[in-house]
Amino acid sequence: MSSIVRVHGLTKRYGGVTALDAVDLDLPAGRVGLVGANGAGKTTLFRLLLGLSQPDAGHVEVCGVDVAADPIGARSRIGYMPEHDCLPLDQTAADVVATFGELGGLPVRAARQRASEVLDLVGLDEARFRPVGGFSTGMRQRTKLAQAIVADPELVLLDEPTAGLDPSGREEMLALVDRLGGFGVAVVLATHLLDDVARVCDHVVMLDAGRLVTDAPTETLLHQTGTVTVDVGPAAVAALSAALAARGLRASADGSGSLEVIVTGDHDLDTIRDVVAELALPLHRLTNRLTSLDDVFTRSTPTS
Amino acid sequence: MSSSVSTGAVYDRGYRPYDGPRGGRRAAAAALYRTSLRRAVGLRRPWRQKVAPAVLLGIAVIPAVINVGIGYLTRGTPAEGFEFITYREYLGVSSALLLFVALVAPDIVCPDRRQRVLPLIFARPLTGRDYGLAKVGAIFTCVFAFSFLPQVVLYVGQMLVSDGALDYLSDHTAVLWQVPIAAAALALFYALLGVAVASLTGRRMVAGATLLGITLVSSAIAGILVEADGGDTVPTGHAAALLNILALPLRIRDLIFLGRIGEDAPLSGVAGGGALSIAAYLAVVAICVAVIHQRYRTAE
Repeated sequence: MSSIVRVHGLTKRYGGVTALDAVDLDLPAGRVGLVGANGAGKTTLFRLLLGLSQPDAGHVEVCGVDVAADPIGARSRIGYMPEHDCLPLDQTAADVVATFGELGGLPVRAARQRASEVLDLVGLDEARFRPVGGFSTGMRQRTKLAQAIVADPELVLLDEPTAGLDPSGREEMLALVDRLGGFGVAVVLATHLLDDVARVCDHVVMLDAGRLVTDAPTETLLHQTGTVTVDVGPAAVAALSAALAARGLRASADGSGSLEVIVTGDHDLDTIRDVVAELALPLHRLTNRLTSLDDVFTRSTPTS
Repeated sequence: MSSSVSTGAVYDRGYRPYDGPRGGRRAAAAALYRTSLRRAVGLRRPWRQKVAPAVLLGIAVIPAVINVGIGYLTRGTPAEGFEFITYREYLGVSSALLLFVALVAPDIVCPDRRQRVLPLIFARPLTGRDYGLAKVGAIFTCVFAFSFLPQVVLYVGQMLVSDGALDYLSDHTAVLWQVPIAAAALALFYALLGVAVASLTGRRMVAGATLLGITLVSSAIAGILVEADGGDTVPTGHAAALLNILALPLRIRDLIFLGRIGEDAPLSGVAGGGALSIAAYLAVVAICVAVIHQRYRTAE
């Protein structure tokens, strides 16, 4: 897969604070999650990718364009959705998105047509002629996404796109981001919500206090751990644990009323099933335990 | 029971890549100019936003209509040739123009900062300089149009009510270049001043009041200094009149129309008044350019 972003030795300081510290990245086209706590350097990285800030050291290349040499060329290939409110409140969604289409280089007629299409795509087709000032948070987020993609960029930078959304709004936004990647638009999704990244991203980059801690495909991080979670209710945990130990399986309580059992194959799963049946326990859940991004993040970031 | 089969279908149009023509930095700046100009004249906005430009145009055209009307009514009478207002006097005397700039310049500049639209704009393929040029260009276009169009009405009307249209044309060829150049000097001054002041704050009311305050206070101070020294009554005039920011483009206008400072100006009679006026005009322009450059130097 070709690289959409190449960063080498990128360092950015604000006074005595190092926002990014010698970061090296080689991001593939696709859906990339940029994860980090607040202040980890996500927004700073976006500003450097857009050429809006100058790095203190290092080199940035976006879509094959050297950002330092040609920031305008880089920006013409990027769509950007900031985290904060940034929309002209007294304009209609159609006007806002069409205007940013024109600012992205589209002719007037094409910009209006594309605005109509992308507002349809983000689910604002019926609200397109309403002023943005009257929109809910979710509708404003959708409008921000629409303006980011209206000029058909090669890369879209989304800064906390699910911030402030209710659960259903978050689901819909993630579905939109997922669809964007499917349409062939490269997406970098900056968030501190690891679940969002696990849901839609093919590649994960983790930053902590300006340093790169993880840069890997999501699937390699979320590998199976060789552990299953068995839920038979808190009251039966001790009995089941003892019975499994008697059959040679190592089990430990996970603190939430379930057992985590180390397995080596399907025969161990059969053993667990048989033991539960012998003890006449209700089997609420028997699942493979995957490493979560939270585990990876916790392991990788000493400051978290 | 119907056995017809529905042939309708619902399609998800999805996302279609754009493979048409695409402009660069110049196209982006032109788009920002168009958007700002539309906003300034109230296009695609509620009717309330259309009132200011419509009223300004109406006020600006009234003297031309009166002048042409007088010309028509006094044809063949001893009063024929009476001019209610000359081309020179007609340019830039309307305070409605200042009010318009005080309303419109903050309206097209301040919300971008207050509503944090600037980062979104600067994430597009344009620079802070392009942004400033687009905003100044939009105000310049409005002020130029509202200064120039009434002059066109006056010129065409006077020509039509005169005894001989061709004679009028040949007698007034100078204004054909004087008016657009003077109007451009006036529009540039107002546009730069308006955008520079508006760039300093995100609040429209503050920007508008500051612009009016700067011009009116400078006018008052200049008036007080000139009057205290008797400069408005003696033929020597007074250099303190240069402090009147509002009058600076009018002195440039005088130089364009008369080649000297008009006798009705407090600066009249001051040695080197013309050169001083040009220097003061250029100084204000340079300060405004520096302020705009500084405010949008780094993309926010």
